[in-house]
Amino acid sequence: MVKEMIASLRIFRERQKLKDIPILEASYVVIDTELTGLDEKRDSIISLGAIRMKGGRIYPGDYLYRIIKPERVLTKESILIHGLTPQELESGMDIEKAIADLENFIGDEIIVGHCVSIDIAFINRQIKKSFRRTLRNPVIDTWLIYENLNKRFPSERCFSQMADNLYDASRCFGIPVENAHNALIDAFITAQFFQRLLPLLMRSGIERITELLRIGDPFRGGDRFRNPEIQNL
Amino acid sequence: MVLEEVLNFLKKVPPFQFLDEEILRTLASRITVEYYPKDTVILRQDGQPSEYLRIIKKGSVKVFVRTKDNEEVLIDYRGEGDSFGFLSLVSGDRSRANVVAAEDTLCYLIEKDLIVSLLEKNPSLTEFFLKSFLNKYIDRTYKEMRSRSLLYGGGDKLLFTTPVRELIAREPVTAPSEISIKEAAEIMSRNRISSLVLMDGNAPVGIITDRDLREKVVAKGKDINEPVSSIMSVSLVKIDSKEYCFEALLKMVRYNIHHLIVVEDGILKGIITNHDLMMLQGVSPISVAREIETQQSIEGLVPVSKKINHIIGLLLRDGSKATSITRIITELNDRLQKKILELAEKRFGRPPLPYCWIVFGSEGRREQTFKTDQDNALIYADPASPEEEKKAKQYFTVFADFVNKGLIECGYNACPAGYMASNPQWCQPLKTWKKYFSNWISEPVSESVLKSLILFDFRGLYGDLNLADELRTYLNSLLEGNKVFLGYMANAIIKNRPPIGFLRTFVVEKSGEHKDELNLKVKGIAPLVDIIRLFSLEKTLKETSTIDRINILSTKHSIVKDHADELLHAFEFMMLLRIHHQFEQMESGKSPDNFINPNKLSNLERRTLKEAFHLISRLQDTLIERYKALIW
Repeated sequence: MVKEMIASLRIFRERQKLKDIPILEASYVVIDTELTGLDEKRDSIISLGAIRMKGGRIYPGDYLYRIIKPERVLTKESILIHGLTPQELESGMDIEKAIADLENFIGDEIIVGHCVSIDIAFINRQIKKSFRRTLRNPVIDTWLIYENLNKRFPSERCFSQMADNLYDASRCFGIPVENAHNALIDAFITAQFFQRLLPLLMRSGIERITELLRIGDPFRGGDRFRNPEIQNL
Repeated sequence: MVLEEVLNFLKKVPPFQFLDEEILRTLASRITVEYYPKDTVILRQDGQPSEYLRIIKKGSVKVFVRTKDNEEVLIDYRGEGDSFGFLSLVSGDRSRANVVAAEDTLCYLIEKDLIVSLLEKNPSLTEFFLKSFLNKYIDRTYKEMRSRSLLYGGGDKLLFTTPVRELIAREPVTAPSEISIKEAAEIMSRNRISSLVLMDGNAPVGIITDRDLREKVVAKGKDINEPVSSIMSVSLVKIDSKEYCFEALLKMVRYNIHHLIVVEDGILKGIITNHDLMMLQGVSPISVAREIETQQSIEGLVPVSKKINHIIGLLLRDGSKATSITRIITELNDRLQKKILELAEKRFGRPPLPYCWIVFGSEGRREQTFKTDQDNALIYADPASPEEEKKAKQYFTVFADFVNKGLIECGYNACPAGYMASNPQWCQPLKTWKKYFSNWISEPVSESVLKSLILFDFRGLYGDLNLADELRTYLNSLLEGNKVFLGYMANAIIKNRPPIGFLRTFVVEKSGEHKDELNLKVKGIAPLVDIIRLFSLEKTLKETSTIDRINILSTKHSIVKDHADELLHAFEFMMLLRIHHQFEQMESGKSPDNFINPNKLSNLERRTLKEAFHLISRLQDTLIERYKALIW
């Protein structure tokens, strides 16, 4: 019992230290998932993409991409969105193995994603189901940051119009967005999107992870496992 | 997937495109991506050595150095597919220049270790990078070069064809390794050498250089009576005398040293330094200037004159500013022309009257690039009698004909409109010249205005320069307050508008050989030169070069005052663009023209050009306002 308390105290301390790191030096893992749908009870993850960043530098060669064998039959619509054929999915990986790989890949790094609370909710549900634990890493939502910066720099060209999805917002920043959707490409786009936001964050005086979390943590003051947004869907 | 994007990009970018797919894949997997908002300082001059080779994926960077006098010297603009940071990376030296994002820029980064191992396995890669950064390395330090002289050029072709042995000037100076530091320094200063090879019997065992004396002795306060072996470098980098100088340079860069030991069959033959490599310049402006001086005939001048164009290439690769290039070229053209005039004087004997050879047009403004048409004339002192007048006419007619023909032989084409001294109209006594000018100014019909646009940029080149000065003073006295003539001139100028819709609706040639191309000289450079000339005439300046005029007008002329920097920048940019364009044409065996294809410009170039056009157009509007009453 005491041991566990000390352990969790140590984790707490580590995390506090992590939060004091300058945003341009911190290590991030940018993630994206493709889902069969948004219903947390019925739908599941069909692919996972993650890519590593350190400060403003993206490591396109250091990535993880997993296609997962679906637990239930896919609808035509979702096949169209993801461009994954049923055959590809059939030859996919076991969700438990894939999610463990992802957990491993993420390690202790800060998780970044666009509207990432949805991804985290699905990932955590699976981790909990398989391993009886949840991700405890700090999480940053590029959507929240974008919204926030949009208010701070209304005159910047990249905010000339408030885009309501990742692709449009990325295009405003000059990031090439191809037609293909998949978890890895989207993670890469998100990483580039985050990369463009970093200098703007610095300009608004947000220089440390603590400060970044203040505006970018989607679970701030809420349950990081059960996301109310998702439940209401 | 994501890597494909990187891979596809690398496949399009030299020198990576020449690598095997497999190597490229490894490379792509280890590349990282950074983003620099506009104005980010990426590398700082004299700052930390660069740890990465950066390839520009998107955007562009400006490479420049700051001289001792805090002057910013532009080295290069690099755009998509270009890379930077190579030299500092392989040499481990401080960064040689400032690199700043000229727009929002995305770079692919390759780590130093990876680059080094790639270079070792792929010599062609090394060659590519060194070639593209070569001159900049030979300079050793830019500062040194800039403060020395602009009359400098490198001959990188020779580096690939000259064996090292040809650079060894004399027997190497050696000394036994037992001597003291003091003794070694004495030997070096006595022999005026910057390095000394230390021997153990017949075998070289070490070397000391000026740098060792500075860094290991003076800076550390080391006792000079200690043995020299305590400071010598024992890792001798050798090169075989049969190797090409390029290999020598490569070794210097790789080991970050300035001296190499040259051996032949294992025996010490000498030492070469990076200074020797610098001196390996077959065609520098200085050497051409010297060669011109020593010629005694037109036939002798012809081959020398051919080298002038080559120099432009060297200066371009050297990162010189366009305005410096044109000045150097004009200087060389001047010298060549003066030499021909000297030859003419020798041939025809003492002229009966003092005279002055004047040049005008781009030559008068010192803005020549590649060999252009002749624009010259002759003023002689007013004859005292009709006999004298007759004599003078006879003499100068033959004289001018000889000079003009000599220039044609040296590759300066005859002026199609006949603006040459051999044309009797432009070979006249001072009083006739004054009459010309006063007639043009009092009766500014379009033909007169056209002539004044060409001739009013005159300057004296050779002979009695007072004659040219007197004509200039006279001209200025006519112009003083003469708003009518200036109004006519303004009227002619504003007819030629630069294509401001450049990016959207290309204003290009609609048909013919140059369909879809833009005449940069007519549409961009000429309008700017014209405006500045008009302002200088308003203020009766003596200066003829556009840059000088802008600089002086910036304190005298209210319109120029507000735009001086922009004007200088715009002019420099358009000139550089033109020179680059013409140089590329010459390199590929075409004759140079002024037609630029807007689609072939980079985004940055296009944007800058557009800004220049906007500036000119705004100034033309100001002109219209200023001379409203006289514009129709």
